[in-house]
Amino acid sequence: MLSIELNNLTKAYVKKHLLTTRRTTGVESITLSIGKGEIFGLLGLNGAGKTTTIKLILGLLKPTTGYVKVSGFDVPSYEVLKKIGYLPEVPYFYKYLTADEILKFYGGLSEIGNINKKVSEILDFVGLESVRKKRLAEFSKGMLQRVAIAQSLLHSPDILIYDEPVSGLDPLAIQEMRGLITSLKALGKTLFLSSHLISEVEKVCDRVGILAKGKLVRTLEQKQWASNPGGLEKIFVDEVSGSSELGRIKIESNKTNLNNQIPD
Amino acid sequence: MKKIVSIAYYTFIESIRNKVFYVLVFFGVTVVFASLLLAALGGEQPQRILLDVGLNALEFFALVTIGFSAVTLVLEEMESKTIYLIITRPVSRVTYLVGRYLGLLAAVYCGMFIMALMHVALLKLEGWQFVLRYPLAVLLSAEKIAVIGAVALFFSLFSTSAVSSISFTIFFWILGHFSEEISFLGSKVNTTLKIFLKIVYYLVPNLQFFNLRDFWEVPNITGSWMFISFGYGLIYGAFFLALALWVFASKEF
Repeated sequence: MLSIELNNLTKAYVKKHLLTTRRTTGVESITLSIGKGEIFGLLGLNGAGKTTTIKLILGLLKPTTGYVKVSGFDVPSYEVLKKIGYLPEVPYFYKYLTADEILKFYGGLSEIGNINKKVSEILDFVGLESVRKKRLAEFSKGMLQRVAIAQSLLHSPDILIYDEPVSGLDPLAIQEMRGLITSLKALGKTLFLSSHLISEVEKVCDRVGILAKGKLVRTLEQKQWASNPGGLEKIFVDEVSGSSELGRIKIESNKTNLNNQIPD
Repeated sequence: MKKIVSIAYYTFIESIRNKVFYVLVFFGVTVVFASLLLAALGGEQPQRILLDVGLNALEFFALVTIGFSAVTLVLEEMESKTIYLIITRPVSRVTYLVGRYLGLLAAVYCGMFIMALMHVALLKLEGWQFVLRYPLAVLLSAEKIAVIGAVALFFSLFSTSAVSSISFTIFFWILGHFSEEISFLGSKVNTTLKIFLKIVYYLVPNLQFFNLRDFWEVPNITGSWMFISFGYGLIYGAFFLALALWVFASKEF
C-alpha cells in the first residue's frame, strides 16, 4: 500500500473583493505516489507550492480538484491524523506552558497511553530533559525546534511530514536533523519533507520532486542526480529557471571587480 | 469528552499564566476596593452602594476579559499558527473549540471568584449580612459572561478581524440590555421595521434576565425563575457556540 497518494491535486485560491474576483493557483494537477519507508523531498522556489502541498496532505486545506490518500484513507480523516507526525516550518506553541505540559497536551490529543513515561522518553531523546519544566517562552529557536521534533514523534506515527526541517538551524543542528532523518528511515518510517537546501535533500532523500509555479515538473531518484555532473542543484536550477516572478540579480561572473557592477 | 477536558485544562493554565489576566483581575479588585469611597458618599445606604458597584465591577471586568480573550483566542491561534499542531492531530474542530471556550470560561470564572471573595470581605467589614442572593447574582453574571463569550467567539470567526469582532460584541452587549425597549419600539412602528425589530429582539438575548442585582429588593425570587434564567442563558450560549462551530468547521488554514 502506498503511504501517500496525490491524484490530480489542484488548489485554487479565490479572493472576492467588491465586484472583482481574483483567482490564484496554489498547486495544479499534482499526481504523486510515495511508498512505505521512502524519504521524499519536495523542492521548489519560494511560492512554488511546497507548503500548500503539505497543507493539502494534512487536511489544513481542501483541494479544488483531485484527492489525497494517506495509507489508503481519504484526507481528512481521524485515521490519517493518527498516522501522521507533522513538523511545521516555524513551530509555534503556547508560550506559557512548559515543554513537559505541551507534550502531555499533544499526547492526550493523540490518544497515547502511559503518557508520562512517553513524554519523559521523548524529552530525553531530543535532549530537553533538563529543561522540561521551563516555559516555552524562554526557549531558544533551536530548543523550540527540538520540542517540535518531539511532538512529531510522540505518538510513533508511520508517516512524517516535515516542512523545511532545517530552516534557520545552525550547522550542528542541521547535522543532528540529518542523523534523525536517517534513523527514522532505518525504522521504516515514511518521510515527506520540503526544503530549499538542496545539499541536505540530496544527502537524505530517496526521491525528489521539483515544483515550479505550482506544478510538479519533475521527479527523480537518487541515482539520477548522483550520476548527473552538476548534481541535484544543476537539475533543480535548470527546471525552475524562469519560473520565479523576480528578476535575477545582475552579477556577471566573468567580472572580478564587484564594485563596478553594483549601482551607486 | 476526555479531549475536551484536556484542551480546557491547558487553556485554563495558559490563560491564568498570562500577565494580561493578572492585570485585569488586579484592576477588578482595585475597583471593588475603590467602591468603598463611593459607599462613604452613599449617605444612609453605604452597603447597597458597595454591593451594586462591586457586583457591576465584577461583571464589567469579567466581560472585558472574556470579550478580548474570546476574540483573540482563535484569531491569534490562526495568525500565530499554534492551531496547526492541534488540528493536525485526531481532534475534531468541535472538540477543539468547545475545549478552548470552556478553558477560557474557567479562567474568567477564577478571576470572578477572586473578585467576589474580595467584595464579600469588604461588605462584611461594612456590617453586611450574607444572603443567598449574592452567590445567585454572581452565578447569573457568570452565565451572562458565558453567553457573551460565545457571541464574541462567533464574531471573531465570522469577521476575522479583532477590532470589528470586539466592536460587534460590545454593540451586542449594549443591545442585549435594551431588549425590552426594542420590543416596545417594535410595537410602535410600521410592518417592515416591525419585522426587523422582532428579529433583533429574538436574536439578541435579553441580558437583563441575568441582572439579579436589579431585583434585589423583590421579596420572592423563586427557584423556577432562577431555573428559567439559567435555561435561557444556556440556550443562547449554545446557539452562538453552535454558530461559531459552524463557521469554524469550514475554515481553511
